[in-house]
Amino acid sequence: MVEQGSIAPMSGTPLLRVEGVRKRFGGVNALRGVSLEIRSGEVHALLGENGAGKSTLIKILSGVHVHDGGSIDIDGRPVSFASPAQSRDAGVAVVYQDLSLVESLSVADNLLLGREPKTRLGFLRKRQLVAQAEAFLKSQNIPLDARAMVGSLPFAYRQMTEIAKALMGDVRLLILDEPTSALTDDEEKILFEAIRAVAARGVGVIYVTHRLNEVFRISNRVTVFRDGQNAGTFVTAQTNMRQLVGAIVGPDHAVLKADGAASGQSVPSSPGPLANPVLELTDVGNDRLDRVNLELRGGEIHGLAGLIGSGRTEILQTIFGLRPVQSGGASLDGVPLRGSNPAAAIRQGIALVPEDRHVQGLVLEHSIERNLVLPRLREFSRFGWLRRGASSERADTAMRRLAVKAPSAATTVKNLSGGNQQKVVFGKWNEPRPRVLLLDEPTVGVDVGAREEIYGVIRGAAAAGSGVLLVSSDLSELLQLCDRISIVVDGRIIKTVSRQAFGSAEDLHHLIQISQPSEEHAA
Amino acid sequence: MAVNQPGGRLALLNLLQGERPYMLYIAFAIMLIVFSLASPWFLSVDNFLNIGRQTTLVSIIAVGMTFVIISRQIDLSVASTLALSGMSASLAMAFVANNWVVGAAAGLGTGALIGLINGVLTTRLEIPSFLVTLGTLSGARGLALMVTNTKPVIITNEYYFNIFGEGSVLGIPAPILWTLGVTVAGILLLHYSVYGRRVYAAGGNPTAALYSGVDIKRVTTLAFVLTGTLAGLASLILSARSHAARPDVVQGMELDVIASVILGGCSLFGGRGFVLGTLLGSLIIGTLNNGLVLLGVSSSLQLVIKGAIIVAAVAFTRR
Repeated sequence: MVEQGSIAPMSGTPLLRVEGVRKRFGGVNALRGVSLEIRSGEVHALLGENGAGKSTLIKILSGVHVHDGGSIDIDGRPVSFASPAQSRDAGVAVVYQDLSLVESLSVADNLLLGREPKTRLGFLRKRQLVAQAEAFLKSQNIPLDARAMVGSLPFAYRQMTEIAKALMGDVRLLILDEPTSALTDDEEKILFEAIRAVAARGVGVIYVTHRLNEVFRISNRVTVFRDGQNAGTFVTAQTNMRQLVGAIVGPDHAVLKADGAASGQSVPSSPGPLANPVLELTDVGNDRLDRVNLELRGGEIHGLAGLIGSGRTEILQTIFGLRPVQSGGASLDGVPLRGSNPAAAIRQGIALVPEDRHVQGLVLEHSIERNLVLPRLREFSRFGWLRRGASSERADTAMRRLAVKAPSAATTVKNLSGGNQQKVVFGKWNEPRPRVLLLDEPTVGVDVGAREEIYGVIRGAAAAGSGVLLVSSDLSELLQLCDRISIVVDGRIIKTVSRQAFGSAEDLHHLIQISQPSEEHAA
Repeated sequence: MAVNQPGGRLALLNLLQGERPYMLYIAFAIMLIVFSLASPWFLSVDNFLNIGRQTTLVSIIAVGMTFVIISRQIDLSVASTLALSGMSASLAMAFVANNWVVGAAAGLGTGALIGLINGVLTTRLEIPSFLVTLGTLSGARGLALMVTNTKPVIITNEYYFNIFGEGSVLGIPAPILWTLGVTVAGILLLHYSVYGRRVYAAGGNPTAALYSGVDIKRVTTLAFVLTGTLAGLASLILSARSHAARPDVVQGMELDVIASVILGGCSLFGGRGFVLGTLLGSLIIGTLNNGLVLLGVSSSLQLVIKGAIIVAAVAFTRR
């Protein structure tokens, strides 16, 4: 296994050499001449804001698009892929963000989907199928049970199945497109080991991500794109967070450079301890929660840290009326929560920005305006009839306040970037200010620039008096934003620490880890 | 993608501009041209009034079906609901009081009740609406046949005939007026009311709608009640026209209704569609039926042609 940070053995020609590649879409210059060099055996991180050209390059390498200019060599031979099949034949495999596995089938079934061993009559050779899959997994050092149902696996192992599937066949170059969006630290560790094992066999790995922390944990080198051009290539061991953030956002973003995306230097004003509690949970329990006690004050940003599945999301869902309060009591401004459904919670002044904006947050096929006004349709109506003027006025205001980048409020949400989509989800709850704002992983899949803007929105909500409850797997995000952080384990809040007592991300990580039952991930 | 935002005026524009309705428009025009060239009787006011009368039942129910399909459900029971509602209306007038109000209330009430049953079983017991309404399709038809032991019930109320069947205003027959009224009401409800917005949200993404505080169960149930009630209204129009209610009428009509809605641009995956498109869809199907009859095509062959054209049109206009 290659040690983290070590440089893969140099060979004469690089595995992949991209030289001055250009690509135009209509009037848009997506790539203005980018270069990239991947050596065999290295993990090479690729960074950049949304629209910097990462996905375009990946689509060119995977045969979805053809480049307009420049050259691409694999093993010193020039290539140009007219179709994904050609790219595949040349040994390039891509693992996309959205998993493409059949959850009701086993790992082995998924790996050999479409080329199952069968008898002459077309019957499946089940034993051979499993044996073949097991042999393959063993040869790749991937710790997966071939018989396990994909649907029952933790996310990291599904991700690993996806990688294994991509590696079937003779793969030279493996491209991972944001593989860790939804992983906890533990799961990430498991996945990273699998990736290192793959690289150790001489495969070149391109690792696309928005999370800078990961770059330092997994990559040997890192290349940054900005506006369709190279903004620098660094040896990971010789660079730091600030340098990378600077390369990503460019010289125009003076504020960001001074702040540093994850350094947490800007301490938000903290009215927390003085203000009255808006939300109080006393021994709240249901099938996922076990005697949760929590006190959220007006103007406070309160973090919930813990692993996925620890009950963080369930706490938010219970407050929002998606899960019943079966025991204990919950009250808002001293009034008991009536909520057995979200409509009641919303009326009481509770808002939720959910974990999965595509599934839970937005109607993707509908316009920005329709999405923005959906939770508060009553306010834009008279006797059940919509007041269209009021609704479009509200939409315009919200778009302006949140700096949503779109041609108009009639734009279909599906066509927006991740960051702008998330701003629309925030916009649903922006006005009137909710008493309690519940946030579940608010910056997943959001690029660095939009992330800072969303942090601004969160701080703004707290400054205006809302109590903010923030669930995040990104510990530096919690440290940067929160006045207090509660640790959630197995449906309970085991500890609450305030800003003065915060340590580093490592300390917080340790705090979460020490209370974990260790057999959690024995898949 | 302009079809995504069917506001009232916008919807009218979409009828001419939007991608799929545009195709629909052309298809309709071509059909009119072909039939008028092929049959000298086709292009006449009388014949168009004829088409209007013949499509009334489908058009009216299809307005309700538009709500059901946009909210990501389906209602297969409408033809049976119509039959049972008609029996209920005629029996009420025969045995309770020979008053058109009593008949109308019984017919509409029966339709609404079956819609409510469909909606409640679908949303509360979480049985797919395809199965629930397949059940009520059979059950309601069976009940309709049972109440009179398959015999028709004669209606003798003149007011009833006038209001729902034979009357006219400014030369426009009552059934067509009812169709127009229901269409306008449907447009207002779907495109200008809070309820309409919720129907779109519930069908476009039920989870996001739930997370935004939309009571999806209620929204969906109401769509079924609306469709059932409109099937009841259609039963009044049909029985007023024939001066009797028969338990075995309009078998298989649910296919024409669903085809109209889909032809009119609704997505079977929910969240998309508009009322005017549905009306155009049902006119196309009605014109098709009418033209084929005028051309002397045998009724068996008519079914085959209609089926082929519906599948082809949907395949062609699908996104």
